[in-house]
Amino acid sequence: MALIERFQKTTDIGYWEGQIPMNYIYTVGRAGEKFFREIMNGKIFGAKCDVCNIIYVPPRTYCEKCFARLEDSYVEVGTKGTVHTFTQCYETFDGMKKEAPSLVAVIRIDGTDGGLVHWLGEVDFKKVYIGMPVEAVFKAKKDREGSILDIKYFKPTK
Amino acid sequence: MRRVAIVGAGMTKFYRNAQETSKELAYEATKMALDSCEMKLSDIDCVTIGSAPDAFDGVHMKGEYLSDGSGAFRKPVMRHFVGGGTGVLSPAHGWFMVASGMFDTCLVVAEEKMSCAYPHPAGAFITIFDHTTEQALYPTLIYIFAIEMNRFMTTHGYRKEDIALVAVKNKKNALDHPCAQLPGEVTVEDVLNSEIMAYPVNRLDISPTSDGAACMILAAEHVARRVTEKPIWLDGVGWCLDTAYWCTRDLYYPDYLEVAARQAYKMAGIKEPSKEIHIAEPYDPFTYKELHHIEGLLLAPRGKSVQMLVDGHFNRDGNLPCSPSGGLLGVGNPIAAAGLMKVIELYLQLKGTAGKRQVPGNPTCGVANAWGDLMQVGTVVVLRS
Ligand SMILES: [Zn+2]
Repeated sequence: MALIERFQKTTDIGYWEGQIPMNYIYTVGRAGEKFFREIMNGKIFGAKCDVCNIIYVPPRTYCEKCFARLEDSYVEVGTKGTVHTFTQCYETFDGMKKEAPSLVAVIRIDGTDGGLVHWLGEVDFKKVYIGMPVEAVFKAKKDREGSILDIKYFKPTK
Repeated sequence: MRRVAIVGAGMTKFYRNAQETSKELAYEATKMALDSCEMKLSDIDCVTIGSAPDAFDGVHMKGEYLSDGSGAFRKPVMRHFVGGGTGVLSPAHGWFMVASGMFDTCLVVAEEKMSCAYPHPAGAFITIFDHTTEQALYPTLIYIFAIEMNRFMTTHGYRKEDIALVAVKNKKNALDHPCAQLPGEVTVEDVLNSEIMAYPVNRLDISPTSDGAACMILAAEHVARRVTEKPIWLDGVGWCLDTAYWCTRDLYYPDYLEVAARQAYKMAGIKEPSKEIHIAEPYDPFTYKELHHIEGLLLAPRGKSVQMLVDGHFNRDGNLPCSPSGGLLGVGNPIAAAGLMKVIELYLQLKGTAGKRQVPGNPTCGVANAWGDLMQVGTVVVLRS
């Protein structure tokens, strides 16, 4: 086996600092246009494939299973769901320690096959369980801007 | 299709920080593989390169950058990339080159240098998530795996202290691996008491970030017979991609893997995997993933893998040794190179040259898998002596 000297930090040896300098503007897409316009109205929409009997959330322009076009099949799915699984996370996306941990869950929207990943709020981590009923809490209408963050979090129903 | 053999292998030590550039790492592994079977670069017809996101090494079009260190000067070369699943797709990619009859020999090179990315290579993953419905929530890989682990544990009623035994076993196995980055004697308590990353994942449930490279040489049967007295056969390959909408999957069971495994088993003529396979290298970037994958590889019934682990079934001297190399948890996780390291372990074990790591009982059939992309790609290879 090749044996190579070990270093604690790459900056202890010869190095060059660089970056891949590029920023991006992502369109929300055609299904996204519907989804985010309705989010601003406090509604969650999905797309139904009648052939496969699947409701996708968020909505899509096509069914990935049968390749049917779904743009005429957007349906309102309500704002309630269940916790499919969850975690409490102590690290930021780039591997640093968070100031306060965040409570994250995959929410299965009731009556659909689709899920949204989002934060949980108004609940203690120790009280959360898989199967817990939850509902979306939206920002005040004037503050909504057509983003997934227009939903502040999901909270336990009742 | 022609039968394809593995005739040589090499790898670098896995490091948190390597001094070598990415292509220097590739060179060390490739040179060692050639030397292992006394072949020269001129004996090689083509090259395949496996490497995960360009964002780790920070070199756009990394395949081209790696090509000279991978022995590809003026040769047909092609890079493949399926995230964490890359290293086990690598031999499958090489298999096509040789099985097709197009080439008699192929270098399969896998490399990753994660230390280039700072403050932490995890940051590179933010852009694998859906840009409009997920990125705004700053998802991390650790949290989506924690979410999957929670679903897996809760569905089967598995206990965290039992799953921790995977880290105990693999880090111990790695003590005998000369390339290992994080070998050690750790206890279940050590795992449970290590820093919490994202419930239910603690620090010692996770493999490290690493730099390293690995290489394997594939040959058609007539060449293999000339090069070695004991070729190891690449008898099955399979891969599959489940839906990219990871929130719509159940997550408690790796369907992506079962589909890929069935494809590889069918090709290898394996009907009862749990009886016909003697040794396995299930992909173990996290403790629970080894068990998740043992179930997906059909080596344990769903919901039973933890009891088998507790009973010692997967120890190096157990009925079905799993990760005798030490796995990603012990040897390290330079993504693509780690996957290929697992296939190299099967090669050495089936050849009977794994040294202190050699499992008893002269195994003749082994399986390895890897997993990646957005938790939904499965790659599988079956090897026979
Ligand atoms: Zn459909």
